[in-house]
Amino acid sequence: MFTLEVKKISKVVALTLFAVTTFVNAGDVKDVKGPSFKERAIDGSVEYKVKDNSYAGVYKVNPQVAKEKIKYGRTPSKTEIKAGDIDVRYDWQGLPDGKGSVAKGDELFEAKCAMCHGDMGSGGKGYPKLTGGDITTLKNQLVHPENGDEGPERSIGAYWPYASTLWWYIKTGMPFPHPMSLSNDDVYAIVAYLLSVEEIQIDGKDLDDDYVLDKKKLMKVVMPNVNGFYPDVNGKDGPMVMKKFLSDPKNYGTPTKRCMKDCPTAKVVHIKASLNDGITPPLSEKRDMPKEKKSAGGDNKFAKLYKAKCSACHGNDAIAPKVGKKDSWADRIKQGKDTLYKHALKGFKGMPAKGGNADLSDADVKGIVDYMIEQSK
Amino acid sequence: MNNSNSIDETANRRGFLKNIAASVVAAGALAPVTLSAKDDPALIEEPEWGKKLGFPVDATPYGQPSPYEHNVIRRVHKLLSSGDMYASVAMCPIQDLSGIITPNGLFFHRSHGGAAIVDPNEYRLVIHGLVEKPLVLTLEQLKRYPSESRIHFIECPANGSTEWRAPQFNTLQFMKGMMSSAEWTGVKLSTLLKDVGIKPEAKWVLAEGSDNSHMGRTLPVEKILDDAMVVWAQNGEALRPEQGYPVRLLVPGWEGNLNVKWLKRLEFGDKPWHAKEETSKYTMLTPSGKAIRFFWPMEVNSVITSPCPDKPWTDLKKGDIVEIEGLAWTGQGTVKGVDISFDGGKNWVEANLKGLVLPKSWTRFSYMYKWEGKPILLSSRAYDDAGFVQPTIDQEVKVMGVEAIYHRNAIVTWEVKANGEVNNVHIRS
Repeated sequence: MFTLEVKKISKVVALTLFAVTTFVNAGDVKDVKGPSFKERAIDGSVEYKVKDNSYAGVYKVNPQVAKEKIKYGRTPSKTEIKAGDIDVRYDWQGLPDGKGSVAKGDELFEAKCAMCHGDMGSGGKGYPKLTGGDITTLKNQLVHPENGDEGPERSIGAYWPYASTLWWYIKTGMPFPHPMSLSNDDVYAIVAYLLSVEEIQIDGKDLDDDYVLDKKKLMKVVMPNVNGFYPDVNGKDGPMVMKKFLSDPKNYGTPTKRCMKDCPTAKVVHIKASLNDGITPPLSEKRDMPKEKKSAGGDNKFAKLYKAKCSACHGNDAIAPKVGKKDSWADRIKQGKDTLYKHALKGFKGMPAKGGNADLSDADVKGIVDYMIEQSK
Repeated sequence: MNNSNSIDETANRRGFLKNIAASVVAAGALAPVTLSAKDDPALIEEPEWGKKLGFPVDATPYGQPSPYEHNVIRRVHKLLSSGDMYASVAMCPIQDLSGIITPNGLFFHRSHGGAAIVDPNEYRLVIHGLVEKPLVLTLEQLKRYPSESRIHFIECPANGSTEWRAPQFNTLQFMKGMMSSAEWTGVKLSTLLKDVGIKPEAKWVLAEGSDNSHMGRTLPVEKILDDAMVVWAQNGEALRPEQGYPVRLLVPGWEGNLNVKWLKRLEFGDKPWHAKEETSKYTMLTPSGKAIRFFWPMEVNSVITSPCPDKPWTDLKKGDIVEIEGLAWTGQGTVKGVDISFDGGKNWVEANLKGLVLPKSWTRFSYMYKWEGKPILLSSRAYDDAGFVQPTIDQEVKVMGVEAIYHRNAIVTWEVKANGEVNNVHIRS
């Protein structure tokens, strides 16, 4: 193995390497040989080839396949391609037209986002906190929380390198239970609102309530942490930059030597507070017959509808009264079913009409309310 | 008892059995049975299942594990979710797995908006962007391409992320269960793309899923043409919904998140996209305050699976010879070897690899050990043919800090106590 690799490099280098290897092998540290940079794949790994009808020497391959040009399917129309092309690249390729004001965004955020992301995106509901970070905290390392160490705050304004991600994320992934339901104008409005909360400026100006964001203005946004990421892959040789980065394990704390004897060691740290208690279902290595499951009405139609349409919020007490949590429901159940039906159908506080599920019939909504009450008594 | 077949041996065993029979008094169906304290009723008495019919062959058209295995399941933890069980992860019980293949029902499940149930009749894959001939395929058409099968693990880069600061879980399932391994079947993208024709200016590909999260990730064209595949089968059957039924991208050795599920679109471009999982998440913040943007392969890694906190040595007697067994894996090539330490990393010996040793795959290792009933600190350290060695915690933290979240592959150490109990510990300076 070693001799083979030596042959591939120049004599001078080979001699030096040989000397070094001999030296370290004589001690208690072993070098682990890797391929030359040229022989590495784009991720710094070994690049395996097909040779003698065998891939990497372990999988047989049919040599006929490589000789054929195979084609099924058809060419999609321009309209078909455009309909599915929903991404927005960092250089704004793919950003559609539209406009929306900060005030409109505030209204939409309150109605469609705040129940999970908190007021003004401040978090506290178990879902990601979006706003209120500080770029100077990114150097923080939360090593000793018990000593009051604070961690980095990765909010949109403090961490995200590009505003394009914000538009793309909201359009195709939000609101969480109903993605792809916001119009482009609504997305512009919510983006405007979040940029305004994060105190991002456009043309040196704050985004106040009546600021109207449109495509041209959004494309001017430079996020504060735009230079906070490495390596720089945006140039023409981006993939090659990555290959260099990944081929040098020093970049990520990976050694290339195996210490075998009298290696530096350190002290033993035990678990202070085990997280095992929160595991669901609890851990067990028992081999026994399962206990009979209690029927929780989990098979009926409304249980299924609840799970599919309502549990994203009603499964989390920080957002909405959690189904099954008696304390959260006692006072509500006292108000009577008619009131709860009304709230569910027409909306109430953070709860949108039908929970935002316009496709549900009134009868289904009532059935789901009955199920939720039944489960929470 | 040995397995000798010699006549003498058989005769001796007959004599031995006769003696037992005498002391037990005719162990017939109707005769009373007198057991001595040493005799195991499981051997003496005919078990229930031997005295009645089993379940008929048509009872389970799709077979299920024995009900006695009901505790071998995926598990969840609230701390590992982003608010609910739709954007969350169910961990694979790797402490209970054998070999290098994960049964499909136990394969770890990470989704960002629940697992979509895609209608295979309406499935389409579109390939467009900087290509000569854009292409749309139905599922049937896709499956007409010549297939290949490969065994690869898929690991979420957040596997082990709860361990950056300190040890927190005392179970293998939650320390390393954000990964699983399967034999995947599909078509290599190099085969699929030959007629499509990638333009020379195309450097990057956006792979996008059709689920709630519309997961998009950027990959370099080099990887797409090297060993990436579009797959439709997992361990011989169609992909499970939670693995992207009917079609997912398979990017051998790379971050789980890049193996885009419910794959609907591949767009070629001249620049990377910087999607949500390449900016807001899946980026690694280092102590400099700057973050590593892309980090594709899963680095060399290993863990001892027997013993482990879930599979202790509490049943062993002093002097027992026991197999130390574990899993090693690397996304950067093939596992070349594994070292084992009994003293917390001061001294190391070489373990043996066993079974199939495949690229970008789980690899089993083994070491025969004489248990003396004295406490040990048991660690494993893998290295691969890319020339990379699994780091100590100190080595990794020195460069990465403790806020990177992703790509933690430091050496795992078990504290095996004198009574055989096993605990997750860290070796830290």
